[in-house]
Amino acid sequence: MKKMKNFAALLTAGAMMVGMLAGCGGGSESTSTGDTGSAAAATSDSYKIALIQQHQTNAFQIAVSEAAEAKASELGVDLTILSADQDAATQISQIEQCVSEGYDAVLFEPVDPDALGSAAKEASDAGVVVINIISACTDWEDYGISALSCGDNVTAGETEMQNVADLLDGKGNIAILTGPSGDAGGLQRMEGYENILKNYPDMVQVVEPADCEWDTASAQSTVESWLSAYDLDAIVCENDGMAVGAGNAAGADSGIVIAGVDGTPDGFEAINDGRMSGTVSQNGGAMAANGIEAAVTLLSGEELENNTIITDNTWIDASNIADYE
Amino acid sequence: MKQKRNAKALLSEYFIFVIFLVLVIVLTCLKPSFIQPSNLVNILKQASINGILSFGMMFVIIAGGFDMSVGSTVAFSGILAAMLGQGQYPLFVPLIVALIAGLAVGIVNGVGVAVGDLPPFIMTLGTMTAVRGLALLTSNGKPITGISAEYKAIAASSVFGVPMLAVFLVIVILICSFVLAKTVYGRRVYACGGNLLAARVAGINTTKIRISTFAIAGLLAGLCGFLMTSRVTIGQPTAAESYEMDAITACVVGGVSMSGGVGKSWGVVIGALLITVIANGLDILGVSSHWQKIVKGVIIVIAVLIDVKGKSKKN
Repeated sequence: MKKMKNFAALLTAGAMMVGMLAGCGGGSESTSTGDTGSAAAATSDSYKIALIQQHQTNAFQIAVSEAAEAKASELGVDLTILSADQDAATQISQIEQCVSEGYDAVLFEPVDPDALGSAAKEASDAGVVVINIISACTDWEDYGISALSCGDNVTAGETEMQNVADLLDGKGNIAILTGPSGDAGGLQRMEGYENILKNYPDMVQVVEPADCEWDTASAQSTVESWLSAYDLDAIVCENDGMAVGAGNAAGADSGIVIAGVDGTPDGFEAINDGRMSGTVSQNGGAMAANGIEAAVTLLSGEELENNTIITDNTWIDASNIADYE
Repeated sequence: MKQKRNAKALLSEYFIFVIFLVLVIVLTCLKPSFIQPSNLVNILKQASINGILSFGMMFVIIAGGFDMSVGSTVAFSGILAAMLGQGQYPLFVPLIVALIAGLAVGIVNGVGVAVGDLPPFIMTLGTMTAVRGLALLTSNGKPITGISAEYKAIAASSVFGVPMLAVFLVIVILICSFVLAKTVYGRRVYACGGNLLAARVAGINTTKIRISTFAIAGLLAGLCGFLMTSRVTIGQPTAAESYEMDAITACVVGGVSMSGGVGKSWGVVIGALLITVIANGLDILGVSSHWQKIVKGVIIVIAVLIDVKGKSKKN
């Protein structure tokens, strides 16, 4: 019965379409009326989209690739994933390569916020839809980039530090572990920390922030050394890898608040066994998927409601971790 | 005259030891907690992995070679150990597999250098890149979580207050020092590095000796991979990045000559401890980690400068 109804609807729609086409005088284009659905799929099938990741060597980035692949097969687009291996020069030549190979859209996470602008501009001038994902290029709108799909590192930093402040009741000795000096994401997280610390004069940084280059072993050594010389109440880390190292140095249920950012499996494991207090999830997968969706919308000639697509971040601790693993 | 020269030679030989003592005293004065037992335990733990790698590197450099691939080998064997150390097998399985993986990389390096006649730098640069790729491929780029509690306990436990990692280091130091100083094999390693042609003429199978030194470095890197995974509780494909540089630094600072044939184990022990003490001391002082890089770099150059000056005097 239901099928019949659908068929009838389709027939009407088909008839209307034929009528419209005939009205426009373009009747020669009309094919069999039942094919409207698959015809749309066929056009998006021809979209060639490239995703250029910063690198593919941690859980966050792998989540990005997996979500992008899932979204691409859902929308029926032809997706190629490249890795810039943390090198801005490589990423620039990859973008150029994508333009010359006739890709319809390029999505990229910039290795450096300032280095990719002109490559993006050249690509968009050549008619390629360029979408910036995960971390923003400086003045991205000036370089012909059509949309930005990202989380907000400053808010992520704020969420993390706010939760640490709540756990400490607003006072205590804290220490910060940072990513490689000059990394844009790290600097933005640090800005978020500072925004919150302004409100808590009793939270004191007793040591200079240490640059542990996102590395677990290096964070572990640094925190071991700190703990023999300083009385720390909290260790705030710019990613989960370093928070796991800090947690290893402090031991399970140490009474020291240890927080990270990312929401990666190693971080979840540490939260589960009490080495870490919590993390801020950065849903990289959703950022990539939203980026691809935006690319397809633009390629099919439609407009985006908003060309900055922000993915929310959430605080994950022992109480709600089961929802995220 | 002769005595004066001896005094100078003595000073240049033990210079690094003097630097080390001065550094320890200065750090203790600046921050008394540096010398507390809990921090000494930290230093032992932190020195262990680099110390073990440095001893493998020592064999390679004394025999006239060079190994860039040990950091990648640590990551690769660490990944394998993490995959097999989830509690499904007894612990010796991940240990043996990590050792075999390291040994295999070492033998490939050795054959490339000794049989294929490739410059050690090029050969091991190749394996450094390829083995890092292998580590990323095996782990699919993600950290391997979920290693068993017994496996985690290896690095976390201690014997009579001495961390287990340091026990491994001491065993490696004892065996390697004995082999290098007291055995025929050890003499031949020095001979290969001192003058390869002369060693060959003297009837030493230099090909075998050179392959074996790379194999030792690989084997010890495999051991480090196993220990590293236990210490950080996850297997990370990006772990141990540039650890080869720290191992080379420990050797060079400890008086192992980059041109081969010269070097003593106690020097390498001091070299490895010195690197750790710099990092630990600056962390404790709360100094920015950027300074660590500068201090490390300056010490390498000074150490090699002394090495070169000492040699030109001998000639």
